[in-house]
Amino acid sequence: MRHVMLTGLALILLFVAGGCRQPAEKAAKKEVDSADGLIIAVGDSLTAGAGVDEQASYPALLQKRLQAAGLHYRVINAGVSGETSSGTLSRLGWILTQKPGIVILETGANDGLRGIDPDLTRANIEKIMARLQAEKIVTVLAGMRMVGNMGGGYTESFRKLYEDVARENGAVFMPFFLEGVAGDPAFNNSDGIHPNARGYEIITDNLFPYVVQAINKRREADEDQKGRASSHLGRALQLFCHFPEHPYSTYRVSYK
Amino acid sequence: MLNLRFLLRELVQSRKQATVFVLCVALSIFSMVALNSFRDTVQNLVLGDARSLQGGDLLLHSHYPFGPALMQAVAGLEQSGQVRGTRIYECYSVIRPMAGVRSLLSRLKIVGPGYPLYGRVELQSGLPLETVLTAGRVVAEREVLDRLGLQVGDQVYIGSAVLTIADIILREPDRPVEVFALGPRILISEADLDRLQLIGKGSRVDYGILLKIRDRDADIKAITAGLLRSAQPEQEQVSTALNARSGVKVFFDNLFFFLSLISIFTLLLAGIGMQTSLAALLRGKRTTLAIIKAMGASGGFLFRHYFVLTLGLGLIGSLTGMALGAAVQRLLPVLFTGLLPAGITPALRLADAGQGLLLGLLVVIFFTFLPLQGLRHIRPAALFRQENQSGTRGMLFYPTVAAGLLLLALLIIRQLQDLRIGLYFIAGALALIACIWLLTRALLAASAKIRSPFLGLRQAHKSLFRPGNATGSIIVTLACALSVLLAIYLVRTNLEATYVESYPPEAPNLFFLDIQPDQRQAFIRKTGQAPQLFPVVRARLVSINGQPVRERQQPQQRGDSLTREFSLTYRNNLLADEVVSEGGSLFRRDRSGAVPLQVSVLDTVAEMGDMHLGDRLEFNIQGVPLQAQISSIRTRTKSRLYPFFYFVFPEEFLRDAPQTSFAALHIDPQEITGMENRIVSAFPNISFINMAQTAAELGELARRLAGIVNFFAGFSILAGTLIIIGSILATRLARVREAVYYTILGADSRFVLSVFIYEHLLLGLFSSLIAVMLAQLGSWALCRFLFNIGYLPHWSVSFLLIVLTPLLVVVIGLLSSAGILRQRPAQILREQTGE
Repeated sequence: MRHVMLTGLALILLFVAGGCRQPAEKAAKKEVDSADGLIIAVGDSLTAGAGVDEQASYPALLQKRLQAAGLHYRVINAGVSGETSSGTLSRLGWILTQKPGIVILETGANDGLRGIDPDLTRANIEKIMARLQAEKIVTVLAGMRMVGNMGGGYTESFRKLYEDVARENGAVFMPFFLEGVAGDPAFNNSDGIHPNARGYEIITDNLFPYVVQAINKRREADEDQKGRASSHLGRALQLFCHFPEHPYSTYRVSYK
Repeated sequence: MLNLRFLLRELVQSRKQATVFVLCVALSIFSMVALNSFRDTVQNLVLGDARSLQGGDLLLHSHYPFGPALMQAVAGLEQSGQVRGTRIYECYSVIRPMAGVRSLLSRLKIVGPGYPLYGRVELQSGLPLETVLTAGRVVAEREVLDRLGLQVGDQVYIGSAVLTIADIILREPDRPVEVFALGPRILISEADLDRLQLIGKGSRVDYGILLKIRDRDADIKAITAGLLRSAQPEQEQVSTALNARSGVKVFFDNLFFFLSLISIFTLLLAGIGMQTSLAALLRGKRTTLAIIKAMGASGGFLFRHYFVLTLGLGLIGSLTGMALGAAVQRLLPVLFTGLLPAGITPALRLADAGQGLLLGLLVVIFFTFLPLQGLRHIRPAALFRQENQSGTRGMLFYPTVAAGLLLLALLIIRQLQDLRIGLYFIAGALALIACIWLLTRALLAASAKIRSPFLGLRQAHKSLFRPGNATGSIIVTLACALSVLLAIYLVRTNLEATYVESYPPEAPNLFFLDIQPDQRQAFIRKTGQAPQLFPVVRARLVSINGQPVRERQQPQQRGDSLTREFSLTYRNNLLADEVVSEGGSLFRRDRSGAVPLQVSVLDTVAEMGDMHLGDRLEFNIQGVPLQAQISSIRTRTKSRLYPFFYFVFPEEFLRDAPQTSFAALHIDPQEITGMENRIVSAFPNISFINMAQTAAELGELARRLAGIVNFFAGFSILAGTLIIIGSILATRLARVREAVYYTILGADSRFVLSVFIYEHLLLGLFSSLIAVMLAQLGSWALCRFLFNIGYLPHWSVSFLLIVLTPLLVVVIGLLSSAGILRQRPAQILREQTGE
């Protein structure tokens, strides 16, 4: 009996807490050079990095990649395990208080796993995007696909909702967050659904160009704000000043 | 050598005492034989090489399709006829009826032919699963039909297939273990697997193969090892029923241990009963025995005859006990229904029977040897003297006691199957007796100083100290029995409060998750009830007093980790089942009366992280740091299925943090589907967990467990009653005399009766007072230190004991000495002189 109760308890904890064990996010590191701005990775357990060391989750890897590329952004991991798109919408205000320049939005997977109507997920993400847009935050929307066992009709409408929202909103759109990772035992934990450290490397590789794209968009927007009068040449110069010693300005060319 | 006529006469003469004696032996043998043989049966069938609980001897499991190596290994075993296997696939899916827009998340289980290999799926039609679950047909839990508004015979879309709901699932064989699910169950035949188009790359499926080993004597370890060699490490798991359900083993081990303790107590109490009833028998015979001695009988003659007499009675008792034990074997599986897989029919084995008989005789010898030894010391002079024959302790006395204690120790260790705990137990029992002895002495000495103004009471009190009276030993045995009984009750109730009755009837049975802040009010209105909403703010614990929390530094305790995401909450009051154990109140107020930023922690997490009052905790709430000092430590008094939170903050500091809420409701199971439909149509984002089915089953389990424990504890109570009867029979003669003298001195029968009642009241009162004192102390210590659970003293029960015991003692006393009061003094006096 005791065991049964404990199992029940453990499951409740797992659920209510959505809690997958995972190392604590350490205190904000002061040494991170965030001269260029702040990126907040908003999402569920796939962002939080359930089941891997915090340093192996994608926001940590992305920050490293950006810093190495001379893009001085701090990336905050604001992933909450077990969160649905409704939860993300509700806590948007909290995220905005931190004044991010860029938000990477990865949400909805738990909606799908709970069989929630995709129309609701779509409405939630639309509202989130609209709010971010109103706050002039550049958004990278990570597309999600639902596991095949939920049924053909369901997975299809689920996949489509991300494409539709991205198209309508004009956000930077990564078609599938888990591209090349989902369903492959080599890149996932034994639970078959959360990426392992190697999986997060692939995700970061895939995501990086979209983030650079967003950074460029951010800069364009910042320039616009500084004065529409500034010339095209001036803008180019200004950009160049950001990468004095790195050849990575080519990213701007390749991904613009 | 033996005079049969003498034996027979003795037996007939003292049939009352003999009956009590036989009952005591029977009781002790019965509870031990019943428990031991049943334990062996259960261990052999469930714990030894448990098969039934997981539906197969072996379970292969993976989140990915099985690799070719493992499949080949399984095929090899099947071809060689060693095993029979069946496939299972488990996943969630959204199903839809043919018409309408509703859809429902369901738990699918696609099963191969022969499923389940052990146990059975109960269907509403009563038909066997294999005749109902054919291609194109599914069976579902009632909730599926209720939620989608369907009838048996209707069709649904599942994946790409259209399937007919053919029957309703009443019970799955592995249901008690699986307590938690997001949707109702649907069973589908493997024949429809391909048509579903749900299983494949990109699907989240639990793949399983159940294997049944055909030859019962086959080497399950070798087969397991062979399969493990072919399995991909970390991905494909091979588990035997034993290791898969090791929790079940632990549970049964605990249960049997507790029952073993009870059966030993029964044995000890019954032993004391034997001793007192034998002492009563001999006391009544003292004059007769002295005459026999005077006529030339040797001490050996008396000893031999009485030894044979007690052995004979012991034999009768043992056989009765075993017969009862065998009879109850039929009853035990009924008691254990639902806890054990069906089909276990325990039988009393010859070995158990022999062991029971041996045990009974050993117990009889141990508990009767000393009173019998006293026979040797009866002198013919006892005819003339009235003083108590304390007797000199012969050379045999101490070796006998030592040998007896050793025997008893071995018995206890064997029964508990643990040397260390057995020794603890013996030490504890001796300490208990010593304590009670001292307390009794102290209480009697103290009461001797008090003078009552009522003559009857004074006389009753004096008669406690009458020469040769067994007041001390009666109080000791009675207090022993009562304290053990009360302790069993208290420990059991406290254990149940923590574990067994974790699903009390009013506990929540429906949980709603993911309620957003702006939905709170509307949600409450929609439920039509006043549910409490629990806000949840997800955050990580960053540091304790500046020391960063890291995974490796924390030993894994209770399967929890300090580094996971925690659920913080805020409120300014305690929940109904919470108590502040340190810090005085939930939060402190500053001088202005405001509540500054602080945090209250639950004792379990405080223990896990070695946190103390005043420690500084730093949290990271999705990028925003929050630091707070620990203001109080809380503890919980209720079951674990009530919602609880490790960290509680004052409302104003987390009210605006990112949060969702969950609600826990208790509603009539009949209304659950309606409520679910109502909430889901208003708030499509809210998910729910229906625990009603689980609650009902756990409640049933709890009830059965309580029944089993009560069943065995009942024997202890019976033994206690026998002790009281035995003790009163032991002092019968002295009482008769007293009654006569009171009458001669001019007392009316009312006075005699009142003295009699007062004396028993005092006996009962003293015993129960001592018992309550020790039982409370002992149970508190057991709960606090051994079981590590909270303790509730249940004073009302103790009070009841103090009131009822004297009453019971008086009633039993009156019943067993009814003849005394009715007898005419002259007649007794005549008989006395006639002797």
